[in-house]
Amino acid sequence: MRARPIVLCGLALIVSLVEIGCGGGGEEQTTAQNPPASPLAARVLLSGNIPRVRAADFERPTAIYRRHVLSELAPMQRDVEQLRGAIAAGDLPGARRAWLAADARYESIGAAYGAFGDLDARINGGSGGLSGGVSSPEFTGLHRIELALWGRRSTADAAPYADRLASDLRALRHAVPGIEIEPLEYVLRSHEVLEGALDLQLSGRESPWSGSALLALRSNLHGTEVVLGTLRGLIRRRSPRVLQRIEVSLDELAQAIRAAAGTGGSVPRWDRLTETERTAIAGLTAAAAEQLAYVPEVVDPRPPLPQKSAIGTEQTG
Amino acid sequence: MNLRRRELLIGGAAAGAGAALGQIPGLSSGSRANAAGASGGGELKEQVPFEGEHQAGVMTPRPRYAVFVAFDAIAASQAQLADGLKTLSERARALTSGYDALLGSPGEGPTPDSGVLGTRVTPDALTITIGFGDSLFDQRYGLSRRKPRALKPMTTFPDDGLVAAECHGDVMLQLCANSEETLLNALRDVSRATRGVLGPRWKIEGFLPSPERESGAGRNLLGFKDGTANPDVSNRETMERLVWAGRGEPAWARGGTYQVVRIIRNRVEFWDRVSLPEQELMIGRDKARGAPLGKGAELDDPDYSDDQQGKRIPLDSHIRLARPRTPATEDSRILRRGYNYSRGLDQADQLDMGLVFVAFQRDVERQFETVQRRLAGEPLVDYIVPTGGGYFFVPPGARDSQDWVGAGLFL
Repeated sequence: MRARPIVLCGLALIVSLVEIGCGGGGEEQTTAQNPPASPLAARVLLSGNIPRVRAADFERPTAIYRRHVLSELAPMQRDVEQLRGAIAAGDLPGARRAWLAADARYESIGAAYGAFGDLDARINGGSGGLSGGVSSPEFTGLHRIELALWGRRSTADAAPYADRLASDLRALRHAVPGIEIEPLEYVLRSHEVLEGALDLQLSGRESPWSGSALLALRSNLHGTEVVLGTLRGLIRRRSPRVLQRIEVSLDELAQAIRAAAGTGGSVPRWDRLTETERTAIAGLTAAAAEQLAYVPEVVDPRPPLPQKSAIGTEQTG
Repeated sequence: MNLRRRELLIGGAAAGAGAALGQIPGLSSGSRANAAGASGGGELKEQVPFEGEHQAGVMTPRPRYAVFVAFDAIAASQAQLADGLKTLSERARALTSGYDALLGSPGEGPTPDSGVLGTRVTPDALTITIGFGDSLFDQRYGLSRRKPRALKPMTTFPDDGLVAAECHGDVMLQLCANSEETLLNALRDVSRATRGVLGPRWKIEGFLPSPERESGAGRNLLGFKDGTANPDVSNRETMERLVWAGRGEPAWARGGTYQVVRIIRNRVEFWDRVSLPEQELMIGRDKARGAPLGKGAELDDPDYSDDQQGKRIPLDSHIRLARPRTPATEDSRILRRGYNYSRGLDQADQLDMGLVFVAFQRDVERQFETVQRRLAGEPLVDYIVPTGGGYFFVPPGARDSQDWVGAGLFL
């Protein structure tokens, strides 16, 4: 359990004057050293003078993450085999259980989707961007199977797509050891996975039939924690305060998910939660994204941009 | 739909139809709302002080645009909640007074200001009015003993068609400004500054007709002048009696007021298929000028003394039920400050538009609910459906630059 002062700190809002004297590293210039023209300058958390991160610093984080991906894809393949077995047996509840397990695995590896090429769309694509929508022949994979199992209550409708999913997944597992996870993309995913959860999951867009958004969010959070774990040292050396705020926000989100998901094996449908539960979880997801959005600045793998002063901003040079 | 109501009405008040000369409002009990009416647009420098004895956005003139957002408190502790509310006032103070935008610099992280307003955040008559719902005073934050005396959850009335997704909330923010972009910039700003403390629950945007169109109260989307009969906000004694919470309230709450927000859908296609005399009899006012039926001008007293039978203004007309103008009912008057809204189509491809009804008062039961009970079953209910809203207590204003709205709750 974190000590109370830290909790208060992590909670400190972007504007807040509370931040002054709230711990944190020397790299964050606050009003303490450089009184800004207006107190609003306290809304700027970073000085802009953060030491760069070398490309080599990302080798180990991305290698760890690649192992995480493989460690999720292996059990996912077993889930998909179960799914095929249940479909062959006409066992709708069994097929749904296996689908939920497989989908949850895939939702925890979002930081690498960009490196999967076409395979990601084949495995996890939605119908929203396809001409013809759910009738498009290009609509395959997890969500096409979801449509069959929940929307149409049909194992037969799911069968060909489950077979195809199994082979696409094998192809993916074969490819992953050789994929290149770009450092910039990787650090951006530290907040983009939760941005994606807000956009696709909590909106009900991605999993409308199974209502599995809460389960997906739990996996998205897990995947985010894995990314953050690999970058923790790099972030802490540059801005311990940013790290602290992120960790508090992720803890709060995790607690809210646990409270809504319960401890049993099955997680309730997102659309079965109360308005109040959904508001709290969506709000805490957004709050975590707000904090995680500092990661790509703190550990930016790109060469520095020329310093320029934006209008109304103190030159922090 | 129950057409019997309409038939009854026509039968009972046929005599009044020919006399329909008047003008004014639609759904209301009225007032010369905004003494100032809607303010003119375009005055970017127009500033409404955030600080004061009472919060802005109650007595101050209505700017043309508004957004109402209900939030749930999602903070983990009372200290977090207090911190978030303090931050909310700090942002409200800055946004309503204006400053040079902070667009950010390389390496500084996420951009502090949205940039929607360019390089200068102008006040643009922005007001940010903060209210607390009954649920904020439940067991979560240990505030139950501080609850304002007359605060309670919004009542469901028999003619309502409430949708859970747009009802209630722990905190209500009413933002008003001369332009929509100022509102949306402010909304993004305060939402972000309170992220993790307040989670948005529902939202509705409103607008007023151009004040250049005609004088007097503006029209609602039923095409009737609305808000004509509002109490006079410049009369301190009237405001104390009808609007500001005082005796019997916890000390921190005195000088606050109770806000009722109701999203009242108007079935406009149906309404447009109704003849003028029928519409006027349901409302009780002349459509063109807004005058009470049989009278000449918008502000004329409807004068029920010579119309005990309701032959001129039907007994079940909206204005007569809402404000019978008897000594016994004058204490139930409310300060109305609503906005029209429009937002897409429903499942039957009907236009979803109507009124964001907003009323301020000293006591919701004595005022809004009494009026609402009188209106139960009025002929107009076939054409209007309350779908959402909530009751909120609007605390007194921030007294000075160190104070913040709601601080008294945490002392």
